[in-house]
Amino acid sequence: MNIEYTYSFKLPRNVVWKYIQDRQVLRSALPGCQSFEERSDGVYLAEMGLNVGPIKGLFTTEVKQTNQIPPSSYRLIVRGKGKPGEVDATADMFIKEAGDGAQVTCVADVQVTGVLASVGQRVMGGVAKIILSQFFKAAEKEMKKEMNRV
Amino acid sequence: MAKVLGKPIKRKEDPKLITGHGQFTDDIKLPGMLFAAMKRSGLAHAKIKTINTDQALNHPGVVAVYTGKDVQDKIKPIRSIWLVPGCDLIPKDRVPLAVDKVNYAGEAVAMVIAESRYVARDALDLIEVEYEELPAVVHQEAALAESAPIIYEDVPQNIAFTWKAGEVPEEVFANAEVVVNQRLVEQRVIANPMETRGAVAQYNPGSGDLTIWCTTQNPHIHRMTYADALGVAETKLRIIAPDMGGGFGAKIAVYTEEAVVALAAMELKQPVKWIEDRQEHFLATSHARDQVITTELAGTKDGKILAVRAKNIANLGAYLSTMGAGVPTIDFGLMITGAYDIPHAAAETIGVYTNTTPTDAYRGAGKPEASFQIERIINLYADKIGMDPIEVRKKNLVAKVPYTNAMGCNYDSGDYHGTLDKALETIDYAALRKEQEDARNNGRLLGIGISTYVELCGLGPSKVAGAIGLGGGLWENSTIRVHPSGKVTVFTGASPHGQGEGTTFAQVVAEKFGIPVEDIELVSGDTLMISMGWGTYGSRTTPVAGGALAIAADRIVEKAKLIAAHELEVTVDDLDFSDGVFSVKGQPEKQRTFKEIAWSANNAWNLPDGMEPALEGQCFFDPPDFVYPFGAHICVVEVDPDTGVVELKRYVSVDDVGRIINPMIVEGQVHGGLAQGIGQALWEQSVYSDKGQLLSGTFMDYTMPKAKFFPKFESSFVESPSPVNQLGAKGVGETGTTAAPSAIVNAVMDALAPFGVKDLEMPLTPEKVWRAIHDGRKG
Repeated sequence: MNIEYTYSFKLPRNVVWKYIQDRQVLRSALPGCQSFEERSDGVYLAEMGLNVGPIKGLFTTEVKQTNQIPPSSYRLIVRGKGKPGEVDATADMFIKEAGDGAQVTCVADVQVTGVLASVGQRVMGGVAKIILSQFFKAAEKEMKKEMNRV
Repeated sequence: MAKVLGKPIKRKEDPKLITGHGQFTDDIKLPGMLFAAMKRSGLAHAKIKTINTDQALNHPGVVAVYTGKDVQDKIKPIRSIWLVPGCDLIPKDRVPLAVDKVNYAGEAVAMVIAESRYVARDALDLIEVEYEELPAVVHQEAALAESAPIIYEDVPQNIAFTWKAGEVPEEVFANAEVVVNQRLVEQRVIANPMETRGAVAQYNPGSGDLTIWCTTQNPHIHRMTYADALGVAETKLRIIAPDMGGGFGAKIAVYTEEAVVALAAMELKQPVKWIEDRQEHFLATSHARDQVITTELAGTKDGKILAVRAKNIANLGAYLSTMGAGVPTIDFGLMITGAYDIPHAAAETIGVYTNTTPTDAYRGAGKPEASFQIERIINLYADKIGMDPIEVRKKNLVAKVPYTNAMGCNYDSGDYHGTLDKALETIDYAALRKEQEDARNNGRLLGIGISTYVELCGLGPSKVAGAIGLGGGLWENSTIRVHPSGKVTVFTGASPHGQGEGTTFAQVVAEKFGIPVEDIELVSGDTLMISMGWGTYGSRTTPVAGGALAIAADRIVEKAKLIAAHELEVTVDDLDFSDGVFSVKGQPEKQRTFKEIAWSANNAWNLPDGMEPALEGQCFFDPPDFVYPFGAHICVVEVDPDTGVVELKRYVSVDDVGRIINPMIVEGQVHGGLAQGIGQALWEQSVYSDKGQLLSGTFMDYTMPKAKFFPKFESSFVESPSPVNQLGAKGVGETGTTAAPSAIVNAVMDALAPFGVKDLEMPLTPEKVWRAIHDGRKG
């Protein structure tokens, strides 16, 4: 399944680029994030509690960030596992300037199994957009916090 | 007493069911009962590397966890019963629980037994299964490709069998004036009875008796199969099919879960219950149809059909289900010429394994597919030669019965032309075509669709069953027991589960004995109460078990008459029997009622010399042939050009189902079949992702037809008794699913004719229809 989502940050592109892959921002912005750690090989391990419609439960997620082309794009490879099923996703994140701010577009190819597939597929697109919107909003807030700290 | 045969009396079964007093499998509650839940594979094709059950076992309330390894030496694989001969069939049996590899999403890999259903369900999440995913193949044509993933190493190209029947001399097609050819898709559908599957197993460690209550259409086939799989003697295994919320073919198949539940009950020495939830049902109960049929027709320019040949690529799913091989071969291939006198026919079916839920029978089983392809190709032929589809049908319909079709099937009785005429008259075909023309001139898309179907049912002679590789007989057993009070219990080996034989069989017996319908009870679905029988499917219960019933009843009347003659001191020839009274000819005051004879026979104080006491009759009836209900269905649809929505405006069915015992029940059967057949044509489809994930796994994704989708069906009947059973019954359960899909698709194609649309695949969803209109407008 393909999912595309665009979010507009009221922050300059270089700021967005700097913080969107930042550990602290990620840890605080990931919806329902219960644990977050970085493995030695640069892979992040996160536990996320999701509760949107039939997609409910704790997901253990491995996230790898690759193909960074600063400040315009990078790729996330996500493998998630939870009671309702498994998620395999490749998401390309494109960051471009838009006026004073920056626009981030996430283009993802998502494969799911189990209940996620047979029950969740229909709502998956909508759920993914809700999760992404929650993430980006929270990330923007965190970025602002981080900037103030600096 | 008024005659009851042919009367629309209300179903005896219903008061119990509609007041909530039915006894379904899930209503069975036994002391100390445990509950089972199945861990199912989320992947369609994968090696099982490890299964860790420790956490689940430690969960409070969990009693046991079984994996494939735990049961593989205790339960044999569940074998298909229909090993079609002469086609190099490679059967792949379902294993009780997957051991090394899963072959479809939803296949059971482990079972939890717990003190409550909820705990069992929760504990499933604590089982960790590590898989190594393999590439999956979902579609049967893709599975034949050279580069396709192979599911079984010993099944090259995933081909389970290649079956052929009939022959068409090559010159018939080479020299034909007209040849039409179409690839037609019978999409995959899922039967959704109100009640999902389920089982309760109880074992007596003292006696070794095992009882399994389960949702089955054929308890004796289940007993035969599970006795073998579990290594339990048939004499120690009792299968009971309690009340059932429908089967529709999905409960013919013998599955694995029930056997694993039974094993747990035996090992734990406690009763175990398993009830499938709806989502499991979508994943793990057999799917159906899923055949890609390419049909070719040769004919003359003036509408005479010379030959038909069909090539069917059938998706069997991941395993060979109970009747999985027979449905797309015998059931399909022998009927590809439909209701037409076509001299030459050839059928070929390639059965293909894929990483999907196994497919099996579904209301009509093969005959709807056969009917669909001939009814569609005949319309395409009519279109090509510029002839009205009704005219083409009239030119080719079987003119005289009995008629033997090109495959050797003997159509038993009836007037095929007269039935069509009646349907045309009912709908006023000429006026309808005029109305259609006017509508088209006003930009409205009306379509008229027709199907003049015939189907093979009333399964069937046992020697044919043997010849076609069915691992069982197809005779039926009915036993009638007359109690001292004159009340009657009827036992039948068929296992009706909603079709109303509790009423129709009572009507037959009431008519024979001249006693009230209320005095007669039907017992079915219990292997201990009934010695043997083959179940309810293939519209066989009334023609075959009912045929047995009529003969058994005659045997009782014969004996009762001897007793009456003895008591009245006359010979049997001096007696009349009508309305439940034996009376002496010319002296009607000298009489005995049937009830009085029941009392005499059971007490045996004064019976004729040498006569055995009691009044019980039995018949094991093996019908000499199949029965062939047929009919003409005509419908009118209107397509909204802006939305693609198909509105069904009228549906006229005229069916010849032989002699009708209860017209209300018969009409109900037709209506139910129509809803299911129209459902397939317009809405229903089981959809998989390319990786073998079932995407239509809920009622939000799989469209079940609802009452509001339909107009009032205009059904009527023509009765020509079948000569192959005493009742003259032909079977009615599957007429709707056999006739309706092609009638509907033909109607929608007729509506879309102005856009040059010749064929669309079922289901004809608004999007598909809208796109066809849109493309038609463009080009």
